[in-house]
Amino acid sequence: MDSMKDTKAITVSGITKKYGATTAVDTVSFSVDEGEFFGFLGPNGAGKTTLIRMLTTLLKPTSGTAVVACCDVKKDPAAVRREIGVVPQAMTSDLDLTGYENMDIYGRFYGLGARERKERIAYLLEMVGLTSRAHDLVAAYSGGMRRRLEIARVLVHRPRILFLDEPTIGLDPQSRHVVWNFLDKLTEGDSMTVFLTTHYMEEAEVLCSRVAIIDNGKIIALGSPSELKAGIPGNDIISLTLGNISEQIMTKIQGLPFVHQVKTEDTSVRVYVDSGATNLPALLDEVKMSGGTVLSATIHEQSLEDVFIHYTGKSIREEEARKVSFFVGAGIPQKWGR
Amino acid sequence: MIRLLAVIERDLKKFRRNPVVIAMSVVMPIVYLIILGNSFQGKLRSLPVALVNHDTGPYARQVVDNLHAIEAGPATFTLLSLRDHQDAIAGIRKGVYKAAVIIPPDFSRKVVMKSGPEIGLFLDNTDSISSENIRNLVIAATGSMRTEYIAIREKYADAQVREIDLYAKVDYYQSLVPGVVIMAIFLGTLTSGAFNLVMDRFLGIDESYLLTPLSKSHIVGGLVISGLSITTVIAALIFTVSMLITGIPLSRGIGQCFAIFAIIVLTTLCLLSLMFVILGRVYHPRIVGILSGFLNVILFFPSGAVYPIASFPGWLRTFALVNPEAYAVDALKAVLFKNAGLSAISGDLFFLAVFTAVTMSVAIVSFRRTI
Repeated sequence: MDSMKDTKAITVSGITKKYGATTAVDTVSFSVDEGEFFGFLGPNGAGKTTLIRMLTTLLKPTSGTAVVACCDVKKDPAAVRREIGVVPQAMTSDLDLTGYENMDIYGRFYGLGARERKERIAYLLEMVGLTSRAHDLVAAYSGGMRRRLEIARVLVHRPRILFLDEPTIGLDPQSRHVVWNFLDKLTEGDSMTVFLTTHYMEEAEVLCSRVAIIDNGKIIALGSPSELKAGIPGNDIISLTLGNISEQIMTKIQGLPFVHQVKTEDTSVRVYVDSGATNLPALLDEVKMSGGTVLSATIHEQSLEDVFIHYTGKSIREEEARKVSFFVGAGIPQKWGR
Repeated sequence: MIRLLAVIERDLKKFRRNPVVIAMSVVMPIVYLIILGNSFQGKLRSLPVALVNHDTGPYARQVVDNLHAIEAGPATFTLLSLRDHQDAIAGIRKGVYKAAVIIPPDFSRKVVMKSGPEIGLFLDNTDSISSENIRNLVIAATGSMRTEYIAIREKYADAQVREIDLYAKVDYYQSLVPGVVIMAIFLGTLTSGAFNLVMDRFLGIDESYLLTPLSKSHIVGGLVISGLSITTVIAALIFTVSMLITGIPLSRGIGQCFAIFAIIVLTTLCLLSLMFVILGRVYHPRIVGILSGFLNVILFFPSGAVYPIASFPGWLRTFALVNPEAYAVDALKAVLFKNAGLSAISGDLFFLAVFTAVTMSVAIVSFRRTI
């Protein structure tokens, strides 16, 4: 057991955070291996930011424990802070300082010497492609540049664990891909552990070796993206919009040999199948023969989005729409409510 | 140490990149001196007073002449003669006149008959300072008429009052300089130090340094030191400019300059740590805006900078005992106008030092390292 313990970067057991009657994080337990790229996937308001803030010593857990890098976050938060680098969800670089100054002052917060800072900052700025803009004020940066600077900034002191809270939120798709490439490159040769939260399925799928799906403060599934996808039947999903729907049509579809499962909502039908492309014509024929009309049909490979729907019975988008009214983006409500 | 210096440098760099803030912190207290000096200069002038004389007798004329003499001399009021006393009273109600003097038709006769002559004085007593002054002057105007009749020997009884100034003459503007310097320190400490913490919190930037190994003392101490250097420079600059404007001589040279510098530094530290206690958990700059007016009133006006503390009612005098600005004003006045050395103001400096130590400790303990 002892040797196992040494290879864990993060060990969380039964961690809980309550705000009055609301439980933002509900007895969550998991562990992250050294060097792993671990993702927390869930809609806004699921408890991701609250969890990351507890792991990074900004919030005290109501109950439960978390050991991060070396120490318990409750008992020795200062030691934890020395070992980690955190990119919070909100942009936190100083607009009145240049990119270089932002990084340099951060390096000094960690007590790094002048020469070490100089070399490390030059290397990191090159890596995020900001060398030519290093001496411009951050106020003149675009959102994507600012985000890249902030990721580079928390790497100045070579943290053992990097925490990223929604690193690409608010970025356009192009900037998002730039950040992804950079994060991918970052962990290539390094033994650094990365803990990331996101509500973008694609982000978790592209970057993470393991993903925990969180909803309403609880982990509802955990595994590698392929394991999670293997947990749902079939390997493709055909989504149909029908003109009319009847018990008979549903039974017929269910009876087809390549169909694993059928889920309906109004006139939309999700059919979990093997080899979707080959079997689509047969499925359409079956619907027509049983008296149905097909208005549209799409076929896609299973993704984490489907995993989320499979486990929660709702899509991440719907879940956001429902929650946005009283949670409005992680991090904000606690701040204003305190 | 490297961490503390980083906190200080971050704050100073950000301040330097906002030239408008720098300019305003210097200009505002000086404008304050000019506005306060001109609006509050201790003497009233040109208050409009209606005069209605229904008496044609000699004693009424005497009173009117005396009033005109005041109008021509100290010019505290300007007389406007009316025929109808109803118009005069209506004028007061409308705010046209501050007062009306009404001499009834039988005034002279009653003076002669010694049957209690009366003059009507209607006052706009909503303006207590003006009405009090006018009342005293009108009583003086009627009083001097009576002395003319009474024997000359009363004049021998008049005591001669000769003023003997203990210190070099201090004019009104000069007497405001300590207040202006304290005002500059107040504004400086309000907009640096803890305020930057509030702004970082408001912008969500505080998270970035709360996540680093910086300790509470690094954060609070660093912001206090940067606030101290900013405010000290501004206050010293304003002090120099006000000295040049009002022409106070620094007759005791280096020692006096050193004492003034010590007062400025200690007062700044005192107010900076007080602001940290008050603003330590504030998360919205609007709260600072609301507090600033309030803090300015409760610290500045009972400080003795504009009005002497001895004339306050008891409860306010008690408050002045714990008001750091009162000690700062007292020390500055002593050094500027009484040529006091460091030893004479050591009591003030001691209070400021103790106050700083206590508030600073409270500030560091109450500062929250979590969100």
